[in-house]
Amino acid sequence: MGEQLPVSHPVRQFIAGYEHLAGIESSYGYFSPNVTDSCRLIFEIHYSDGRIEYDLPSVGSHAAGLRFATLLDKIRLTTDAGLRELMIKMLTYANWQEHPEAIKIRAIFGEVVLPSVDSFERGDHERFKVRQTYEFVKKKRTE
Amino acid sequence: MHRCRQQILKFLFPAETDQWLSILRVGLGVQIVLYCLSLWNDWIYLLAPTGRGLISRNLAESVMGAESIVIPRISWLVAVGEWLGLENETVLWAVWGLLLLGGILLCIGLYSRLAAFATWFLHLCAVKSGDLLVYGVDNFVTIGLFYLMLSPLPDKASLDWKIRKPRSQNSELLGIFRRLLQLHLSLAYFSGGLSKCLGRGWWDGSSIWRALIRPPFDVLSPELLVKWKHLFPALGIGVLIIELGYPFFIWSKRTRLVWLICVLLMHIGIGLFMGMYLFASIMIVLNLAAFGPGVVRWQPRRLRESDMVLREGALSA
Repeated sequence: MGEQLPVSHPVRQFIAGYEHLAGIESSYGYFSPNVTDSCRLIFEIHYSDGRIEYDLPSVGSHAAGLRFATLLDKIRLTTDAGLRELMIKMLTYANWQEHPEAIKIRAIFGEVVLPSVDSFERGDHERFKVRQTYEFVKKKRTE
Repeated sequence: MHRCRQQILKFLFPAETDQWLSILRVGLGVQIVLYCLSLWNDWIYLLAPTGRGLISRNLAESVMGAESIVIPRISWLVAVGEWLGLENETVLWAVWGLLLLGGILLCIGLYSRLAAFATWFLHLCAVKSGDLLVYGVDNFVTIGLFYLMLSPLPDKASLDWKIRKPRSQNSELLGIFRRLLQLHLSLAYFSGGLSKCLGRGWWDGSSIWRALIRPPFDVLSPELLVKWKHLFPALGIGVLIIELGYPFFIWSKRTRLVWLICVLLMHIGIGLFMGMYLFASIMIVLNLAAFGPGVVRWQPRRLRESDMVLREGALSA
């Protein structure tokens, strides 16, 4: 409602504000029309001695894990490539705190393609399909 | 025309008891307590500013701020905290503690109105600042708290009522808020069902399979699930029928109990088999508050005519 008005228009601001206050700003089409594949973010961590490790983002509870899955879905749905990169950069930075010795981290963002029932019975399992990769390098401090 | 207007008013303002409000208050109180406890480990990590947590809350707040300047957010509270000389982390823990306290006060019904307003506001701040990490449960908790905050509290089951003994309640005001909650749920289920109808997966059952094996909802192993594959199409169509039929069958007194049980079972299933405990519990609370009271009427056994004759005889004797 009011979406044809400019973003700064007071009527649009009021309507958007009311929708958020009442919790009615989003639709109720969960898992519709179909259940999409889930997303995954993998960190490829490079060290100065040539060692490479792989890690996943981590949270402390199942409840936070559900929320993190939502975040990955939102990253996938983001049409703005710059915003998507910024979000992945933030997640990479958070992971970097756990690996302070790393000199480079490659963030690999992709989808977990789920098998159908029939293909699962034939022995297929979920597979990872890369969508984007981002490389972040630690800046050298200048004295 | 006059009759039509009367009918509409009668529908929107039915005389109601406050049973539904008691269910909503206690249910939302429990929900908020569970929300706080479930995020105890990650609270700071999820709501920290740029460079100090999982993802910056400043990013979500910037996007939100562009939409509307009136949407509550954590940085408002942090700004007040800074003015008082408190650090960011202290303010975040204070928000967590106050939310937990709000949930407990709602459960017992002490300072109900203040607790409902404060809990709605603090929960909204947390949800909007962590907007990149929210899903359906947060929307429905906001909806529930919004109705609770506006409804005529306190209810008779609350401590407030027992301690302060307020004046009698406005049954029509109780009625309109329950009616709005009922209409809201009907709309939510119908639109959800309608959008599911557009996907082939719910008709052939593949959406059930995919929902159950999709990380992080993969509570059950696919090896176990595949043994039940013949049930998936029936379950998929069952979900469509429950959601699409909700606004039609939940209103009729004849079918209300059956539909309510079906919806509750669906949400129990979502909670148990997909690990979405908080989503399941908020939907159960909202459904029980909206359509629970009055669904089973316990009436004292009426005396049969033969009993009355017998008693009359006994008296005359």
